Formats: sequence, structure tokens, C-alpha cells
Amino acid sequence: MTFCLETYLQESENYEILISRAGFKDCIEVIEDHAPETIHVKPGEKILGVRIIGIPPITIGIDEKKGTITLPYTKPCYGTAVVELPVDKEEIVNIKALDIKE
Amino acid sequence: MKKALVLLGCPEAPSQNPMAVYSVYKLTSLGYQVTVASTPSALKLLEVSDPEEFYVKNKIDIETCLENLEEGSFDLLVGFVHKDAAVSYFVTFYHILNTNSIAVVFEKDPELLENYVESITGSTNATIVSARAYHNPTPIRVKFDRALKKLED
Repeated sequence: MTFCLETYLQESENYEILISRAGFKDCIEVIEDHAPETIHVKPGEKILGVRIIGIPPITIGIDEKKGTITLPYTKPCYGTAVVELPVDKEEIVNIKALDIKE
Repeated sequence: MKKALVLLGCPEAPSQNPMAVYSVYKLTSLGYQVTVASTPSALKLLEVSDPEEFYVKNKIDIETCLENLEEGSFDLLVGFVHKDAAVSYFVTFYHILNTNSIAVVFEKDPELLENYVESITGSTNATIVSARAYHNPTPIRVKFDRALKKLED
């Protein structure tokens, strides 16, 4: 079954919210400060089954040691949050392939 | 037939709902088939405002719309922006659709208004209609009409 971020956040507790109800730019700063490695993707790219929403280039954090990614997650009435969640190695490879390499 | 997508943000700002109905009316009169993408709560406001779907005939949930959106799905994007999240949504829809776009930006706080406009200007080539407005839709309507006229000329 394909991984779906929406479902994961509803059904799992194995994730961390680093900031919530924030502005997009503040969230990107949080990701850059938090993650040991970052890539940048275009708005609308699908990561973990959802389209990534934001202002390009959108920073995604990667921590290969912990096996996690950190990404912005926006909802119209709640602003943007930053979520760090575990993903498998294969998924990290897929996500890295989306890097637009500034 | 040309197709337009009207993208609504959080329905908290009173001007958004009347401007949504108005923009659908204007775009329909210009020959567009108009779809409104919105949150369920913004959709409720539209349903009560236009119970017989006299103006707003095609509605879709914003997340479903985003999920299935592709370049070429619409000829025109009109997005209402009065929150930081709405900037992100507008810019994302803009980059997926890659088509003529109008951002209707309104806020009562001039600093926030400027921030939203700067973020959109810096990341898109969309036409921007901006007004200091919250309850009163008139300043937005007047500027929106001007932008539509320019688009049609």
C-alpha cells in the first residue's frame, strides 16, 4: 500500500511537530536549523502521497542517521506546521531525487 | 470554452464570500466555465449565498482539486489571498497550472498585506490585485474589475 502522509498523521503518534500555526517562511527557517541535510523541491511535488504546498524553493529536511524527513505542512485555516517523521531508506532516495539543486 | 478556477482561502475574512460570488459572475459573463475550489467551511458559505446555484455551478474541495490538478487543467487562476497559508496555496496552484493568474490579496493590516504581495511577486508572474480591506469588498471589487478588463484587452 502506498504511504499517505494525511492518513499517517491521523493514525500514528510517531512524528514530531516542530512548529505549528506559523508562517511559511518561519517554518522553512525551522527546517533549515533542525535538519542536518536539506534539499529543495518545487511547489506541488508529491512527497509521501501529498502535494507539497509553499513558496519555491521549498526546503525539505533529511536526517539519514535518524531515518527521518522534516517538511512543511500547510492547511488553509491553520497556517503551516513543520512535521518530522520517520521514513524508510527507499523513500529518502525517492525524495532526494526531487531536489531541484539550486 | 475557457475554464477558470477560483481558489478560496479560509472563509474568516468577510469580503471573501461576496467576492467569490462576484468573481464567478464576472468570469461567467466573460465566457469562462468557472470552478470554485474551497475548504468545506467556505463551501458552506457559498451554498447558503447561492442556494439554487444561480452563479456558482461547479464547486470542488480544495484538497481534492490540488490532488488532481495538472498543467493545462484551467486557462485562468483567480486566487483569494488574505492569510499566509493562502499565499502558499496560490503559489502552488500557480506553479502546477502554469497559466494566466490573478492573485486577489486583501488584508486590513498594511504590513501583512505588503508581505503577502511581496511573497507572490517574488515567486510568480501573476497579476496582483491588492487592497486594504476586510469587511468592505468594494475596494477589492473595483481593482478586480480593472485587472479583468486588462486581461481581456
